[in-house]
Amino acid sequence: MRYLFLLLSLLLTGCFQEPLYHSQSYVFGTLVDISIYGEKDERARFLANNILADFQNLHKQLHAWKPVSGNKLSELGELNAAISAGKKPTTVNPNLANMLLEAADLSLKSNGLFNPAIGHLISTWGFQRDEFSAIAVDEAAIKNLLHAQPRMTDLVIKANAIYSTNPTVKLDLGGYAKGYALDVAANYLRKQHAKNALINIGGNVIALGKHGDNPWRVGIQHPRAPTAIATLDLADGWAIGTSGDYQRYFMLNGKRYCHIIDPRTGYPAQQTQSVTVLVPPQASNKTQAGVLSDVVSKPIFIETAANRNAAAQAFGIENFMVIDAQGAIFVSAKMVNKLHWVDAGVKFSTLP
Amino acid sequence: MLVLNFLRYPKQLINELLIGDWLIIILSLVGIFYLFQSLWTSEHAARVQISVGNKIYATYSLNQQREIHLHGKLGDAVISISQGRARFSQSPCNTQYCVHQGWLSHAGQVAICLPNQISLELLGERKLYDSLSY
Amino acid sequence: MKPIQIQTTVDDHRIAKLAAFAIALHMVEAVIPSPLPGVKPGIANIVTLYVLYQYGYAAAAWVSILRVFASSLLLGQFLSPTFVLSLSGTIFSLGILWLAFKFPKKYFGPVSLSILAAFAHIAGQLMMVRLWLIPHAGVAYLVPIFALAALFFGLVNGLITSKLLANDGRKMVNNE
Repeated sequence: MRYLFLLLSLLLTGCFQEPLYHSQSYVFGTLVDISIYGEKDERARFLANNILADFQNLHKQLHAWKPVSGNKLSELGELNAAISAGKKPTTVNPNLANMLLEAADLSLKSNGLFNPAIGHLISTWGFQRDEFSAIAVDEAAIKNLLHAQPRMTDLVIKANAIYSTNPTVKLDLGGYAKGYALDVAANYLRKQHAKNALINIGGNVIALGKHGDNPWRVGIQHPRAPTAIATLDLADGWAIGTSGDYQRYFMLNGKRYCHIIDPRTGYPAQQTQSVTVLVPPQASNKTQAGVLSDVVSKPIFIETAANRNAAAQAFGIENFMVIDAQGAIFVSAKMVNKLHWVDAGVKFSTLP
Repeated sequence: MLVLNFLRYPKQLINELLIGDWLIIILSLVGIFYLFQSLWTSEHAARVQISVGNKIYATYSLNQQREIHLHGKLGDAVISISQGRARFSQSPCNTQYCVHQGWLSHAGQVAICLPNQISLELLGERKLYDSLSY
Repeated sequence: MKPIQIQTTVDDHRIAKLAAFAIALHMVEAVIPSPLPGVKPGIANIVTLYVLYQYGYAAAAWVSILRVFASSLLLGQFLSPTFVLSLSGTIFSLGILWLAFKFPKKYFGPVSLSILAAFAHIAGQLMMVRLWLIPHAGVAYLVPIFALAALFFGLVNGLITSKLLANDGRKMVNNE
């Protein structure tokens, strides 16, 4: 009978085992997904657990709005408290000082569109919470913060001692920390001579080696459907990051307010649904691929259509894709050949 | 007899066809080609894997009608399986993104409820990708 | 008591004879093993098409509905899923034949009608399968295979029908 055939075809699901270790955990307030290929299960578990422990520590160090243990703020939280109290220099761990130096540099390159100093704006919009809902827009508060112009250049960082010349600076490394953590994990695995792994922190992904004989393959989320819009191969050392208006947002009077705030207007960016950037491995003395995959998608997301190319080029990024508020898809010339569309009939424009 | 005649004269066979017949044959071929393209490229999933917190909670066949009640970080969620698909049908989270994702039916599709720390992933014979950038 | 006499017309006899022929073909097909369950040549449709061209739509509809009921009774499948699938497929293909028979005959021959009817047949069956027997999204997976088979067998049956019609099929049926 015809339905027997169907049942048969459904039962014939593959069953062979491959040396792939896979773990999923909630760290960083997001889902962390680690795949390690070609290591013994026990060793892979050991490596993954160490990575997760590192992430947990980073999370405790960088959490922007919640006491991390008891009433104790994170190191970044303490620094923010000191900045808004207008106190004299606070000494921080060297790794945090280096992160802030790098973030300040990236902020300059992005013409201030990537701005980790606008934590107060983000909390005004209600996005510095685990759970958020529609809020009444506090226009006066937004105006005041815009006028105060908190910027990374307000920070003075000398020998791990930090103070700010502007007390309205509130540091939020939300658009940086996940990428930084990817680089930490990739470096750790390389040091441990684990050659093949794929690490995904809340949608930012970095690849090491391959998945067996094939490269690691990554899907890019469709911004309006519960499926991938395209897939691509992620070669050794490459990272990919997507910023979307669908992960953290609320609807108010039929309008979507997402967590990506345009520092120029103080309002959530409105003309984009998602931006994906694909980043090649970087020289060891430069900003690493993981950080770039997290940071660079934001300025492209916020920029107007005419300036997206320039925003990407400022970071030397050649592979990116933009889906605008109307759902139109724009792909950079270099990226076109790398994408495999899930729906073969999809329409897109190639950016020159 | 008749069929054998046919095999003997393939030319005669072709001559039977009128222009409209050709049109219908060609349109049918195009249509079938599209059917193969659209229905065979993305694989229908066979199972759903549910994770709660850091643990894989269970894997269920999609070939059943079933409601699964789970206790997440925030509270009780309900996942429905029906007709080869799975979805979040109730969740205690504020945002309800997970519920709004609706039915998932293709291998590799995921729905994640971050606040409640429950996620669904549809499994098939072969995944379209190893991980998802979202 | 006098036995009840039902008045039958020449038309009735002809329909009965043709339906019997279709039933025979249906039976033959039922015992031939199929390479893929559900994929069948549907040679009985040759009779339906032939009748359509020779005696009109009403006769063709009678012949094919009679064939479905009688065959399922003979095979012991009456009211079983197989019967329901067969009936739904037949109703769909009769629907499309009614429409397609109005196409200009100059351009569309029996082959067109046969292919369209085969598609309608499989569409009706698959719809039934999806709604009733296997309410499962996976059914979509089978659609292209069945469509391809429908095109192939629809084409072959159509060619046979047009050959039959060209050979003045009236004689042949009478010889049966």
